[in-house]
Amino acid sequence: MTSQPFLEICNLCKTFGGIKALDDVSFSVAEDELLVVLGPTGAGKTTLLRALVGLEQPDSGSITRRGEDLARMSPAERDMSLVFQNFSLYPDWSVRKNLEFPLRAPGRRESSADIRERVSTVCGMLKITHLLERKANRLSGGEMQRVTIGRAIVRRPQLFLMDEPLTNLDAKLREELRVELAVLRRQLKTPMIYVTHDQAEALSMADRILVLAEGRILQTGSPREIYEQPISPVVARQLGQPAINIFQAHHDHRSLLTADGTVIATGLSKGAAPTCVVGIRPENIAIRGGATPATVEVVEDMGASKIILARWGDQHLHAIVGKDCTVRSGDQIFPIADSTRIVIWEEGALARASRP
Amino acid sequence: MATGQQSSDGLMKWGLVAPALLLLIGLNIFPLAYNIRLSFTKATLTQAPADHEAVGGRNYARIFKADESNRYAAALRTTARFVLMAVSIELLLGYLLALSLKPRFPGKSVVLLVFLIPMMLSPAVMALFWNLIYDEEFGVLNQALRFVGFASVPGWKTDTAVKFYTILMIDVWMWTPFMMLISMAALNAIPDYIYEAAEIDRARRWTVFRRITLPMSAPLLILAALLRTTDALKQFDYVMAITGPNDPATETLSTLMYQVMFRNFKVGLGSAYAIVVLVIVIAVATLFIRYLDRLREQEHAL
Repeated sequence: MTSQPFLEICNLCKTFGGIKALDDVSFSVAEDELLVVLGPTGAGKTTLLRALVGLEQPDSGSITRRGEDLARMSPAERDMSLVFQNFSLYPDWSVRKNLEFPLRAPGRRESSADIRERVSTVCGMLKITHLLERKANRLSGGEMQRVTIGRAIVRRPQLFLMDEPLTNLDAKLREELRVELAVLRRQLKTPMIYVTHDQAEALSMADRILVLAEGRILQTGSPREIYEQPISPVVARQLGQPAINIFQAHHDHRSLLTADGTVIATGLSKGAAPTCVVGIRPENIAIRGGATPATVEVVEDMGASKIILARWGDQHLHAIVGKDCTVRSGDQIFPIADSTRIVIWEEGALARASRP
Repeated sequence: MATGQQSSDGLMKWGLVAPALLLLIGLNIFPLAYNIRLSFTKATLTQAPADHEAVGGRNYARIFKADESNRYAAALRTTARFVLMAVSIELLLGYLLALSLKPRFPGKSVVLLVFLIPMMLSPAVMALFWNLIYDEEFGVLNQALRFVGFASVPGWKTDTAVKFYTILMIDVWMWTPFMMLISMAALNAIPDYIYEAAEIDRARRWTVFRRITLPMSAPLLILAALLRTTDALKQFDYVMAITGPNDPATETLSTLMYQVMFRNFKVGLGSAYAIVVLVIVIAVATLFIRYLDRLREQEHAL
């Protein structure tokens, strides 16, 4: 079943004063898919969305939706809704009028009963019914962003674009809304491109993640794929908290050693290059059974688990252990990586990664 | 010892406050009280204070007399008309200018600079220049009008029906740039993404203006209007330059006060009039302060 993708982006380029905001970006979005674009600040995420919705004219490349070229269409004609990081409501209007507005825009003829029906459905979904008569400039940040999302949903666009919509909210609200948003989208069966720099959002929400840096796509894949098989240290560092451990290493028979002789892992299958760069997720490190001792510097109790920061030869090491682990700072541990879960990149990957 | 400490603290407090307090009493409170006392007398500028003759409320009665020929009420009306027309025309023109200057275009900064020049000049000096421009025989304005073919040219400074507007035009010329400047600041403070969101929502241009631009720039506009109102209430320079005081068609609060006090030497009557003006100014200032308080409340609410 290889049907035509919903949205297809080909070789998109956009330059701002000599800086490549988008550098030959190509990808597609399937019907009913939530694609998360993950990348650090300045990666070109916002430019990408603005080009898709038509607020920015790309220098070259094409955007097609179900085979239809969108290049010459105005933002209004593209029938997408974009939720900005900042709250973009009409300040002196009530929540109700703000929500009704996209339905009353010229070119749409909807009966008042229909409009009321749709507004109340959306309010139910977003739990903002009690705010309907309140003025937009009298809402709290979380309420405002719910209404903004409501305004994007209410007109049932063909595509949702979200530009870090939860960034300005506090942590608790952010976690709550990101789940709601993903559930909501699934109910609406409308594809969504969701831009964020928050790895937790990306992991929890995405059907597929696209990692963007300096205007280039580094990798696309399911959250699992990107988490477990990142193609480079840069991608690997985008996901995971605490960040992945990355070491310069070499093979010695079936073991992996760093330059100072620290034994990272044993029992590897043969055939890998003699020198390489390895990435080990903190949860894939056991703190007993290793050959090289490490000194614990900090133990962070996260409630459900503990994070250990240790000095391992010349390296710093993050490891996640169970909440019942009694290791304290100053203790000696013998870490060893799970050899089946090590990510191995060719030598030089690290040098490329740290290149500005 | 504790009481000694306390009393020296008290002394210190009074010592610190005293200079400001003395200035306040000497320059504000005493003159005001003396002014109120004078307003109930028939004092003239040349009389010794001992000779001031008390007349009760007769000065006030004269100011508030319901009479066609009451020049005090007339000056009040002229001033009110002047303030209302000047502020609304300046606000409207300034806002329209700011809206039309919003898009970027080459040479924008030069255009802006030209627009802002009148505001930078001294009102009194400009009034004298305008007096030359408006001169009926030799003024640039009438010469230009004659040149383009007008047979009869208006008597800018002599025609009773025109004089008021002559003065109004100077004020508009002088202070429209101020309104434009504030309007531009207000417009620039509205973030682009709100406009972009509206564009994606297919909002009509009028809706965008009515629902985003206007409400979001309104607080600063009202502030500008209030500032201009308090300023226009004091109108003196242009009237003095164009018609001089004592002209019933253009007499304002300030020029009338000047006339009564310094030309007719009627200190008692002038004082009463000054008190009436003071009350009006306090009323406007109260409005102004209330508005500022409300703005602050709104900010707290956000």
